This record gives sequence, structure tokens and C-alpha cells, in this order.
Amino acid sequence: MANKMQEVILEVTNQRTAFATGRGLLQAVDGVSFTLARGRTLGIVGESGSGKSVLSRSIMGLLPGTAITGPGSSVRLNGRELTTLPEKTLRGIRGREVAIVFQDPMTALNPTLTIGVQITEVLRKHLGMDRAAARERAVELLRSVGLPQPETRVDQHPHQLSGGMRQRVAIAIAIACEPDLLIADEPTTALDVTVQAEILDLLQTQVKQRNMAMILITHDMGVVAGRCDDVAVMYAGKIVEQAPVRALFRDTKMPYTAALLSSIPRITDAAHHRLDAIGGRPPDLINPPPGCAFAPRCRFAGPECNSAPPLAGEGHKFACWNPVKPKETAA
Amino acid sequence: MKDMPDTNDAFLLLDDLTVEYHLSRRATVHAVSGLSVAVKRGETLGLVGESGCGKSSAARAVMQLPRPTRGRVVLDGQDLTTLKGSALQKARRQFQMIFQDPIASLNPRQTVRQILSAPLEIAGEQETTAERDARIIAMLDLVGLNGEQAIDRRPHEFSGGQCQRISIARALILRPELLVCDEAVSALDVSVQAQTLNLLEDLKREFGLTMLFISHDLAVVKHVSDRVAVMYLGMLCELADPDVIYRKPAHPYTRSLIAAVPAPDPDAPQREMQLVPGELPSPINPPSGCRFRTRCPLATDLCAQEIPMPRELAPGHRVACHHPLID
Repeated sequence: MANKMQEVILEVTNQRTAFATGRGLLQAVDGVSFTLARGRTLGIVGESGSGKSVLSRSIMGLLPGTAITGPGSSVRLNGRELTTLPEKTLRGIRGREVAIVFQDPMTALNPTLTIGVQITEVLRKHLGMDRAAARERAVELLRSVGLPQPETRVDQHPHQLSGGMRQRVAIAIAIACEPDLLIADEPTTALDVTVQAEILDLLQTQVKQRNMAMILITHDMGVVAGRCDDVAVMYAGKIVEQAPVRALFRDTKMPYTAALLSSIPRITDAAHHRLDAIGGRPPDLINPPPGCAFAPRCRFAGPECNSAPPLAGEGHKFACWNPVKPKETAA
Repeated sequence: MKDMPDTNDAFLLLDDLTVEYHLSRRATVHAVSGLSVAVKRGETLGLVGESGCGKSSAARAVMQLPRPTRGRVVLDGQDLTTLKGSALQKARRQFQMIFQDPIASLNPRQTVRQILSAPLEIAGEQETTAERDARIIAMLDLVGLNGEQAIDRRPHEFSGGQCQRISIARALILRPELLVCDEAVSALDVSVQAQTLNLLEDLKREFGLTMLFISHDLAVVKHVSDRVAVMYLGMLCELADPDVIYRKPAHPYTRSLIAAVPAPDPDAPQREMQLVPGELPSPINPPSGCRFRTRCPLATDLCAQEIPMPRELAPGHRVACHHPLID
């Protein structure tokens, strides 16, 4: 159910991000395109090295100096091209129009500053609030993210908070200026399951309340299933399948997605259930083989897979010459 | 108070295992408090819980790294906590461990040959270089690596999943009877994790291993365990067969833990965690009585006053709760 009526917030077109390494050029993100509308949550799933985090950094313009953005790459936020903007202008956009929540809240926060200072900094820089107003707003924000006793917590340092509480603070900072787009990059990977559920609930309510768009990056299919409208699956720097969440799980097309789904241990499986592991490993991104990157591990691969399949389809897109037949999809 | 079923056929027995870390003269971390479990020969016991529940401390206490503060660790009739020096070293070939971080647990300067020779040397195996190499290559083949090629390489030439296979090979080369896995697949991607879990299941059968499998991931634990123990803040909450514990948890904490696992299915009903909002209490100053009571929706005055002792709800199903969930 792609809602075409919704206002498009983010438009990424043919994003290519590479890194120069001693062995050659590593193509971390290889021609990714998608759009995201207000009020929607897009899940980006993939394993280590699939390019999901580099993609989020590419959108934020937070790439290290060694990164090389390919020609023709475009990231448009609210209609404005970000890739060509100077750093100074980008600084005014980051935090204001697009914000990010990182995986590890301890390293994302400055350990030497109180959390109050870290929230008010954003408010004062971007919104020009004075000290008193910013502090008041900071307490309000901390309350809205569910931090108990925000009036006293505001003067505490990150080390005085638990991991879950720190992530709440990081979320408060991210939403402080009511950005249009929130990127959550593995926001709960460092947290315990019970805390994870609370943080995901919080993100979901904040996105809804503030009518933001969210990109939720994760390696966990379980997180994606319950919390996203649409899902993009990445493999070797490319989106290999993208669909509304139910279609992706119920009518999986790309053999990689299917293999990923059947290799997950589930608590509903019988004990000692043998997992359907994917053989082999992801390709080397420095000298990737021609054609479909998943072909060497794919049980449906044929000679046609030596040429790269495009990501095609209406609503449910997939990049595969031999998609999984509906019946073969694991339920 | 009976808190120790079937100790007769136990291959590994943890009896009142207690691990405390002294931070200062006044502050003590109560990492594990009075954990008693028996593991049968050839059985895999899964030990689950969140950060700070004491599962890793318990694993290390089993390994005598360091020794527990109190309590006994009895392996095949021998109390490991009483062994010293060379007697302990000799006993170690019976119990080995694999760790969470596959890369950090291998010395990057050593070749795989050196890494796998170390346990053999420590155990004082008398064999020729050729015999040793053959043994190492055979072990590497068993864990799914190409032994001939792998033996002269160093850890950085392998992926994370392959490094974990090397760790497994190192742990098993002395043919131990007990394998302790501390978050052994947690650092791996799902596809590699599945391969590793299948490998562990195969090796368990092949070697007739008894396993203590520690993880925070309930789904992973279910796939390898014959019985599952749930811990919270240093204490045992519940112990049962996986099918029982996942279908009908009797401890309110187990129920919350299971409800919190996100199902990889968009149509799965969202389950209520049924946790009182709040934080994990400090193990330095754990709550009186039941340690879970500050987060438990069913807590009463009794829970603050009395530590619930594990009791048998049904054969093989032990619960430490004053108000267990029974229909």
C-alpha cells in the first residue's frame, strides 16, 4: 500500500559511496534509490557489510574524508539536494531537518557534559532559544521520552544513566528540533530485549506524534516486522528487495530475503530445530563478481545471473532473475 | 527446602554457586547468588537472562576463572573448587570454553597451528610434529574449515564466523566432555549464526558433549538446549524444558522476557511485556526478598520479605516465585 498522496520527505537516487583502501576501491553503497514519505517508517535490513550504515551516513553527509561519492548520486531532503551543499549549510540541516540515533548511546553522548547541556545545545544553535527557555524545553523533551524525574536527571552525566535511559536521551536530542526525518541506526542493538521493546515503542510513538518519517536500520528481521511500513533488504551495497512489510514477509521474492528469513532462530520453532543456514559468505566488495552478488550462494542461480538484475517492480520491487515462487516462500 | 533435584545422575552440578566481586570495603557486587543446577551427561543447559543477570559470571565460575566465592562446581563427581595447581590444570582438559568475540579470543600474531597446539602442549600430549599437525588438520576439517589451508594462516585472514570455528576447534581438540559457550554466536550475523549453531549441534552429537550454553537470545537458546534456565540479577528464576518454558512460563520475569522478543512476522500479535516500568536494580544492593519484585506486576509484601526458593511445579519444572503463573 504505497501511499502516493503523502508528501515525499526524502528522495535518494542512485547513491554510490565507495572507500579507497589499500587493495582498491570498496564499493560500500552501490546505486541505491528510494523515496520516503512523511509519516512512514522504512526499515533497512542487512547483515554486516551490506552497506546499510554507510547509506545512512551518506544521507546525513557524515562520511569520513576517505569516502568517494559516485557521480550521479543524489540525496534530496524536502526537495533540496544535500550532496552538493557545503558543510556549513549541512550543519544547519542536520539536527534541524534530519537527525540520527546511533547504536551505542554511551559513545554517542559526550561523557563530560550533562545531558541538559547536550540537549540545550541543539535547541540554542538551531532554534535560537535562550538558556532558560532551552532548559525548560529540555526537561519537557526528557519527560516526553519517558525519562523519570527529568528535572533532576537533566543535570546528570551520561554515566549516571542506564543504557536504555541514555538511548532515551539520545532520542530526545534527535527529536529536539522536530526534524522531518529521523534515522535510527541499530538503535536497540546494544540494549537488552525488554529495554529494546520499550525504545522501539518510544520511537514509534514519537514518529507518529510528530508526523516524522523514519529510517530504521537493523540486522534484526523481528524488529523490522513489527515496526515498519516498508522494508528494504540490502545485500552487498544494493537494495535487493523492497516492499511493504507484509508483502516482504508473506510474498518474499528475492532468494536472499527468503534465505535470511529461514536462517533466523525463532522462539516458536521446536527445540533443536535445524536452521536453514545460508552457505558461503557475502562477496568481497573490492572486486565483486559480475552479475548478481548473491548468485554464488543462491540455490536458484542460473546462467542469466551473470548479469546484474535491476531492482524492478511496482510497489514490491526485487532484483532477481529467478524470484522465489509464492509457494516456496517460508511462512 | 528441596532445591536440588536429580543430583544423582548429574554430570555437572552447580551447588549453591555464589560469585561476589568486592569493589571496596563496603561495596560488593552480588553477581551470582546461590545458583543450584544439575546438568546430565550429554545434555545442553541453556542459561538466559539480560545484562547483569550473572550468566557470564556463572560460566566463568564453572571454568574456575576465577573461582566462585562460595559453592561447589562438581564435574563428573569431582569438585573443581577444591582442585589446585597441576591437579586443576589436568582437570581442565575435561572442560573448555568458547567466548563471544571470535576475533579477540584468538591471538592475532599466532598461526592457527600455534593456536590449536597450545592446548595440546599445556596438556602435555606426547606426539610427533606430524602427528600433531594431522590432529590439528582433522579438527579443523571437523569444524568445517579446510584444515590443510587453514593451519598456516593467521586469524586476520578469516571472517568472524571462521574465527569462531577456530575457537571451537581449539576448545574441542582435547576432546573435553563439557563445553561452556558464553554468547558464542552473539557477535555473528544471522546467516553465519545459523551455520555455527548447526555446527555446535553436530559436534555435540559427534563428541557426546555436555554443554552449558549462555546467551541473552531466547530464540538461539531454544534451538540448542535440552533445558533452559532463566536468571535475573544473579538468581535463578525458572528452569524447565524449552517447550514448557516458552509455551507456559511460570515466572513473571520469564513471561516478560519472552513477550519482549520481536517476532519476525508482521502478523504476530504484539505481546504485553507486563513489566513494572523502571530500571534493573543494582547488583551491589539488590532488593530484599525476590530480586525481581521491583519490576514484577504481581509483587506483594511477601516478595519483599522472603526470598522465593526454587520449587518444583511439575516434574523438571522449577520456579523461584511466590506467585507463579499457573493458569
